[in-house]
Parts: sequence; C-alpha cells; structure tokens
Amino acid sequence: MDHGDLALAERCRTGATGAFEELYRAHAPRLFGLCCRLVGRTEAEDLLQEVFLSAHRKIGQYRGDSALGTWLFRLATNLCVDHLRSKSSRWGRMTDALPDDPIGVTTTAGGVVGVVDRLDLERALATLPEGCRTVFVLHDVEGLEHHEIGTLLGIADGTSKSQLHKARLRLREALAAPRPVVSS
Amino acid sequence: MTDTTDTGTGGTGRCDEIQPRLSEFVDGDLEMAARASVDAHVRDCARCSALVQDLNRIRQAARSLGPVDPPAHVWLEIAGQIHQSAPEAAGSPRRSPGAAERWQWIGLAAALLVSTAGAYLYVHRGRQAPAAATAVSTATTASVDAFTDELTQAMTHYEKAIGQLETLTKGQDGALDPLVAATLQKNLTTIDDAIAESRTALTRDPASVPARDSLLDALQRKVSVLQETVALMNEIRKGDQAGAARAVSGLGRQS
Repeated sequence: MDHGDLALAERCRTGATGAFEELYRAHAPRLFGLCCRLVGRTEAEDLLQEVFLSAHRKIGQYRGDSALGTWLFRLATNLCVDHLRSKSSRWGRMTDALPDDPIGVTTTAGGVVGVVDRLDLERALATLPEGCRTVFVLHDVEGLEHHEIGTLLGIADGTSKSQLHKARLRLREALAAPRPVVSS
Repeated sequence: MTDTTDTGTGGTGRCDEIQPRLSEFVDGDLEMAARASVDAHVRDCARCSALVQDLNRIRQAARSLGPVDPPAHVWLEIAGQIHQSAPEAAGSPRRSPGAAERWQWIGLAAALLVSTAGAYLYVHRGRQAPAAATAVSTATTASVDAFTDELTQAMTHYEKAIGQLETLTKGQDGALDPLVAATLQKNLTTIDDAIAESRTALTRDPASVPARDSLLDALQRKVSVLQETVALMNEIRKGDQAGAARAVSGLGRQS
C-alpha cells in the first residue's frame, strides 16, 4: 500500500488546493498516450477530460489496493473501451480466429522489418482494427498480461493472445521495409 | 525475391502449425515442451526465423512508445468544470468586493470591450479593400501606402486595448490559481511569438495581405485572451463560481 497515493487521494477528496492538479500532472501524459493510441488523437482530448472528471467524482472510492496510477489506468481503459464499443459494432466480433491468409508471411530469408521508427509505428498502429489494436496497446505498449487484458476487455486469454499475434502480423506488413528490385 | 525452402522439421505444413504460436514464443509464454519444439523448428526454418526476428523488433519498438503531453487547454477545461461543481472548501477565504470596486472592474471591462470592438470594426472595414481589389496576395503599388496607414492605425487601437488589459491583469494576477496563471502566460507567449513573426514578415513585405491578416488575427487573439482573463478575475472577485468556471472554459478555447 502506497501511503503517498493514499495521502494524495485524501487531499483530492477534501479539495485541498492544488491536489487534483498534482494528480493530473503526474498521470495525464501516460493516460493521454493510452487514449491517443486506443481512440485516436482527435477524440483523446475529450476522453482524457472524461477520465479525470470521473476520477474526481470517484476519488473517494480509492482504497489503496493498487497504485493510484493503476487505478486511473483502469478507469481510462474502461472509458476508452466503452467509447470504442459504442462506436463500432465490429468490436463484439473479436474472436480467436486468425485470417485465412497469413498476413505478411514472407518466403525470403531475413526479416522484412528494419529498425522501427517510433512515428512509423504510431501511424501503423492507427491503421489496425480496433480490437487487435487495443490488445496490442495494452500488452506491448502498456505491459499488461493476457489475463489482465482478458479481465478488462471481457475476453478469454486465448482470444487476447490471438488478437495480439494478429496485430503484430498486420504491423509487420505495414512496417515492411522496401525490398530491393532484382533485375532479371 | 528468393524463395527459401524450409529444410528443417516438417516443411511448410509444419510452418502453418508453428507460426500462430510465434508471438507466444517470443513472449516466453509457451510451456517448456512446446517451447523446445518451436525453437527446434525456428532454428531450421529461414521463414519462421525471419518472422520471429520481426516480431521481436515490433515488441521492442512498442515498449519505447512513451507518454504524450496533452495540450494545455485540457487542464483548464477540467479545472473549470471541477470549480463549477465543487463545494466551497472549509475555511477558504472569499473576499466580498465592495460595491465601488466591483463597478470599477465592470466599468473598465466594458470600456475595453467598446474600444476593442471599435478596433475590430475598423480593421474589418480596412480588410475589404484589398480583398475586393485582387485575388493575388499583394496589393497594387498605388494602394500600398493606404494599406500600411490603415494597418498602423488598427494596430494602434489593438495595442492600446492590450496595454490597458495588461495593466489590469498584472495588478490582480494573485487572484488566479497559479497553474491557470502559468498556462495563461504560456499561451500569451505563443501569441506574442506569432505577432513577432508577422511583424517580421511585414517588414520584409509591407504590402503582404497574408502577413497583415496573420498579425491582426494574433492581436485579436491576444485581446480575447486578456478579456477572458479580466472576466475570470471579475467572477472570482464577485465570488461567482459558475461564472469563473465559464470564464476558465472560455480561456481554454482561446489557447
């Protein structure tokens, strides 16, 4: 139990000057990154506001069972997932099945992905379908385990693993370096 | 493209069986026996080995994606909505301004609005001549002097309004939340930079309509930010939380 987190939460709850701003400054950048990658930059600002306004309303429920950052992260993830679900009917069709044609499988020796530029990865990430993008962000970017992702998203561990693999294959295809032209 | 035949265990059929498990393999999520089987295949299969290499690169790149700083106005809007909804903190001093002081504030703000509206109308009238005259970005030689004179007079009005507003805000900035004050200062600095750039562009090309419009837009934005700041200070002094929240929200849209 982090007593610093409990103390800050209590100060926020009682409306101590500067407390909630301190909470915002400490955690907003990570949560904004999460929102941008899950729902896109355009909607991320509104969602970030919702996250912190919701946190302000619910701060009295924080008991210190997890780190305050973890508590906020779960809040943000739930809001982002709810937002995606409300927008897309495709969300409910996230299954274990992989596409019939293995995406990006190459017959050449050597990798097709060179050094991955951060901006290229962000752009490629934005092109992924929402379901596998969410799993990729939570697992590979944020470091969650599959059972945690399963709990957050309401999916089986196996589904989380297959969606992660699907995301990585699609990113591999998007990031593939140009191949040299072989003259005949 | 070289087609490298898998000379390892089981041929392409084996690859079809192995490849769906390669993400678990690179993540270390396979049990020992399964891991050994996949490892043995990957060692002998150039295609699957390439895929493992790429999956590892993507994993590592993903770990490097870090936090993203949100725009400054997001906090202003959150703070405004919290201010609107939160009850008064126990024991927080809330000074009630005297009637004379209140009217002084309101009167000053009103006078500034009038002078700023006058400047805006002046500029709006002045903008129409170049737009009507030409579709290209520079006025004709004959109208350059008139263009410059009108711009100079419009800038004088704006700068007078800005000076009066700055005098008001500098004397009273203790009333603002320190973070709101810091964010406001940052926004004003950004606008001042835009004003300086536009002035430089006009120095190089005094007849440039885009540079003039850019300068006047930046001056108008500065006036708007300062007006909203005065409005916020008015509301704080009146003890009107809802009004203060609306003013903070207005400031957030100006940034």
